[in-house]
Amino acid sequence: MAKKLLNDNFDRLAARQGLYIILVAVIALEATGLLQYYFSRKAIREEADNRAASEMQVARLAAEKTTLTIEGSAYALAWILEDYVRKPDKILDEMQRVMDATPVIMNSFIAFEPYYYPQFGKWYEPVLSRIVGNNYERLQMGSETHDYFETEWYRTVMETGKGYWSEPYLDEALSMMVVTFAIPFKDLGGSVIGVLGLDISLNWLTEIVEQIKPYDRAYSTILSRKGQLIAMPPETLTVERSLKYQAPLEGTGWKMSLTIPEDDIYAPLHRMETMILFLQILGVLFLLLILFLTGRNQKKLQDVSRNKSRIEGELQVARGIQMSMIPKIFPPYPERGDVDMYAAVVPAKEVGGDLYDFYTRDEKLFFCIGDVSGKGVPASLVMAVTRSLFRTVSVHEKSPQRMVTIMNESMADMNEANMFVTLFCGVLDLRNGHLRYCNAGHNAPVLVTADGPRMLPVEPNLPLGVIIGMAFKEQETDLATGSGLFLYTDGLNEAENAAQEQFGEDRMMESFNASLGSREQIQTMTKAVGDFVGTAPQSDDLTMLYIRFMNKQISEETERHLILHNDIQQIPQLAEFVETVAEVAQLDVGLTMNLNLALEEAVTNVIMYAYPKGSDGLVDIEAIIRKDALEFIISDTGTPFDPTAAPEADISLDVEDRPIGGLGIFLVRNIMDEVKYARSEDGKNILSMTKKLV
Amino acid sequence: MEVRITEKDNVMTAQLAGRLDTAVSQQVAAELQPLIDNADRTVVLDCKELAYISSSGLRIFLTVRKAAASKGGKVIVRDINNEIRQVFMMTGFLNLFEIQESNG
Repeated sequence: MAKKLLNDNFDRLAARQGLYIILVAVIALEATGLLQYYFSRKAIREEADNRAASEMQVARLAAEKTTLTIEGSAYALAWILEDYVRKPDKILDEMQRVMDATPVIMNSFIAFEPYYYPQFGKWYEPVLSRIVGNNYERLQMGSETHDYFETEWYRTVMETGKGYWSEPYLDEALSMMVVTFAIPFKDLGGSVIGVLGLDISLNWLTEIVEQIKPYDRAYSTILSRKGQLIAMPPETLTVERSLKYQAPLEGTGWKMSLTIPEDDIYAPLHRMETMILFLQILGVLFLLLILFLTGRNQKKLQDVSRNKSRIEGELQVARGIQMSMIPKIFPPYPERGDVDMYAAVVPAKEVGGDLYDFYTRDEKLFFCIGDVSGKGVPASLVMAVTRSLFRTVSVHEKSPQRMVTIMNESMADMNEANMFVTLFCGVLDLRNGHLRYCNAGHNAPVLVTADGPRMLPVEPNLPLGVIIGMAFKEQETDLATGSGLFLYTDGLNEAENAAQEQFGEDRMMESFNASLGSREQIQTMTKAVGDFVGTAPQSDDLTMLYIRFMNKQISEETERHLILHNDIQQIPQLAEFVETVAEVAQLDVGLTMNLNLALEEAVTNVIMYAYPKGSDGLVDIEAIIRKDALEFIISDTGTPFDPTAAPEADISLDVEDRPIGGLGIFLVRNIMDEVKYARSEDGKNILSMTKKLV
Repeated sequence: MEVRITEKDNVMTAQLAGRLDTAVSQQVAAELQPLIDNADRTVVLDCKELAYISSSGLRIFLTVRKAAASKGGKVIVRDINNEIRQVFMMTGFLNLFEIQESNG
C-alpha cells in the first residue's frame, strides 16, 4: 500500500516534470519562430529595397544617357548654327541632319529675340517639324497669336542663360506627349539672340519604365518637376498596400517612382510562416510522443531507477536533436581551395550546451563557437535558441559586433532563467583573409601561424544574456595564407585528470603545428588531451573548431596614386596611370578609354583653371580599385571650383577655344556613374568619380 | 600623335594616328589648318589609326565641320574605332558628321 502511494506520487511528479519540459520547449520554439519571422521580414524588406534600388539605377542611367545625348545634340547644334545667323534658310538644313539621325526629336526650332530680323517683324521662329519618318515640314511659327516670348521655356532660358527641360505637354499635331529641351542660342560674338529648342517624344521613356519589374505586379512611373505624369506602363493595378520608391533623374529634374505591392514582396514570408507553424506543431507532437513513450517505459519498470532511465532517454533524444543542428560534414567546402576546416565535439555523459556553427555567404565565412552555462536540457534548449539566432541575425549583418549585440538584446530580454552564453563570433573574408570578430566572454581563440601559436587578442566583454544594452567591442586582424584560427570551449583547457589537474593552456599551446591540416590538428589535440586525462571521467563537453585560411590569390582593395603639376604636357602621364589602373582592375579596352577620357577632362579642368596662370600647383589623383567599383579622387589646393555645378560654356574664351556647352564635364557625367564635388576644410577641391563594375 | 595630309582627286585627307589628347590638341589644330583652308570642298578625317580622342580633339573636329558648313564643303570622318564611336554617340556628334567605313 505504501509502496503504491509512493509510485503514484512518483508518477505525478514525473508527469509534472514532463509538462514543464514541454512548456519550456514550446516557449523556446515560439520565441525562435517569432524571431525568425521578425528577422526574415526585415531581410525580405531589405532585399526588396535592394532590388528596387538596383533596377531603378539601371533604368535611371538609361534615361539619363538619352537625356544627356539630347542635351549634347542641342549644344552641338547651337554651336554649328552660330555661323548661319545671316542665312536663316540653311539653319533648317542643318537641323534636318540632326533629326535624321535622332528619331526621338519631333521638332527643332530657334525662337529669335523680338525684331532680331527687322524684315520678319517681332516674331521669328523657324521650325523643322517631323511629319512621318524622315519627312519634314518647314514652318515659321512665331506670330501675334503664337507669342513665344510669353512661354515658360523662352522666359526661363532667357533669364537663367541655362538649358531647360520643359514640363511635358500633349502635342496635338503629333498626338503624343512631348517635352522641350531649350538652350540659349548665341551669335558668334557670344551674345544671346534667341532660344534653340528640341521637342522630344516621350515614347522611349515609357519603354524604359516598362523594363523596371522587380516583382510581378510592380510598376513604375516618371513624374515631371511639377508632378505631372510623363511616362507610365499601359496597365497599372490599384493595390491597397504597397511600397513606393523614388529616385531623381539628373539634369531634367524628373522623378522616377516605383510601386511594389506588399503582397508581392512578402509572399515568400507567408509561405515560410506556414512552414514554421507546421514544424512547431510537429516538434511539440514529437515531444509529447517522447513523453508518452518514456512514461510508458516507467510504468513497466515500477521502481526508482525508471526515473533515471527516463531522464537518460530524454537526454539521448535532446543530444540527438542538438547534434543534428551543428554542421558535421567535413570538409564542409570540398570545392573551395581557400578554406580548410574541421570540428569535433567530444560529448560528456550529460548533455551540455556547447555549440558551433558556420556557413559562407558573399565570399565570407561566418562562424561562431559558444558555451551555454549549466548543463542538461535547459542548456541544450538555450543552445538551440542561440544557434538559431546566429543564423537569422547573421543573414543580413556583416559585422560580428552587430550580430553579437542583436543576439544579446534578444537573449537578455527573455532570459528569466538567468542562463547565459559565452560566444565568439567571427567573419572571415575569404578573398583577403581579413577577420572581423567579436568576443562575448568566450575563451580567446588561438592564432596558429608559421611563427607559432599565440592567443588572439580579445576584448573579454560579457557573455550573451547578462545585461541588456551591453556595448560589445569589435576587433579585426588579417590572417596570412596558411595560418589558422583554433576555437575551443573550456572543456579543453579545463579537462581534468584523475589527480584533478587541468590540461591547461600551456599543454594546449604545445600541441599546435601550423603545417598540419585542420583534421590532423584536431586529432592531435584530441589525442593530447586524451592522453592527459587518462581514465578520469569527462565532466564537460569538449568542442573544437579549426579554420585554416588557404587562399593563395589574395585580392584586396588596392590603391594607386599619381601626382601631376599643373602643366597640360603631363596629360600623357595620366593616360599611363589609367592604363595601370585598368590592368589591375582587368578592364576592357572600351571602358579603359572612357575612363581615360573622363579622367583627362576632369584633370585638364584642374590644370587649366585651378591655379592662377603661370603659378605652379599640384593635382593629386587617387584610384581606389574595388571588386565592384572604381573610384577616382582628384584633389587640388587651387581656387574653389565645382565643375559639377558649372555646365555652361566659358564666354570669355575665344570662339575656337570655347567648350561646347561644357563638353568636358558633360563627358565626365556621362561616363561615370557618380560624380561628387566637395570643398574640404583644409581648402582642397575634391572631385570624386565612381564607375561601377558589373 | 601624327598627322599626315594627302590630296587626291580634289579631296584632302588627314590621316590621324595615335592619341589626340589635350596635350597635343594645339599642335594638331595647327597641323589641320590646311583642311580648314580647303573646307569649300570635301575633306576627310581618316581615323583608322586614331586610338583615342578627348573633348579638345572633338572640338577640332567640330571646327573643321563648321568651316566646311560655312564654306559649302563636306567633312567625312572615316573608320573610327568602336570606343571613339561611343564617345561620338554620347556627345550627339554622331549626328553632325558623315561617318564612313572604308572597305577592308
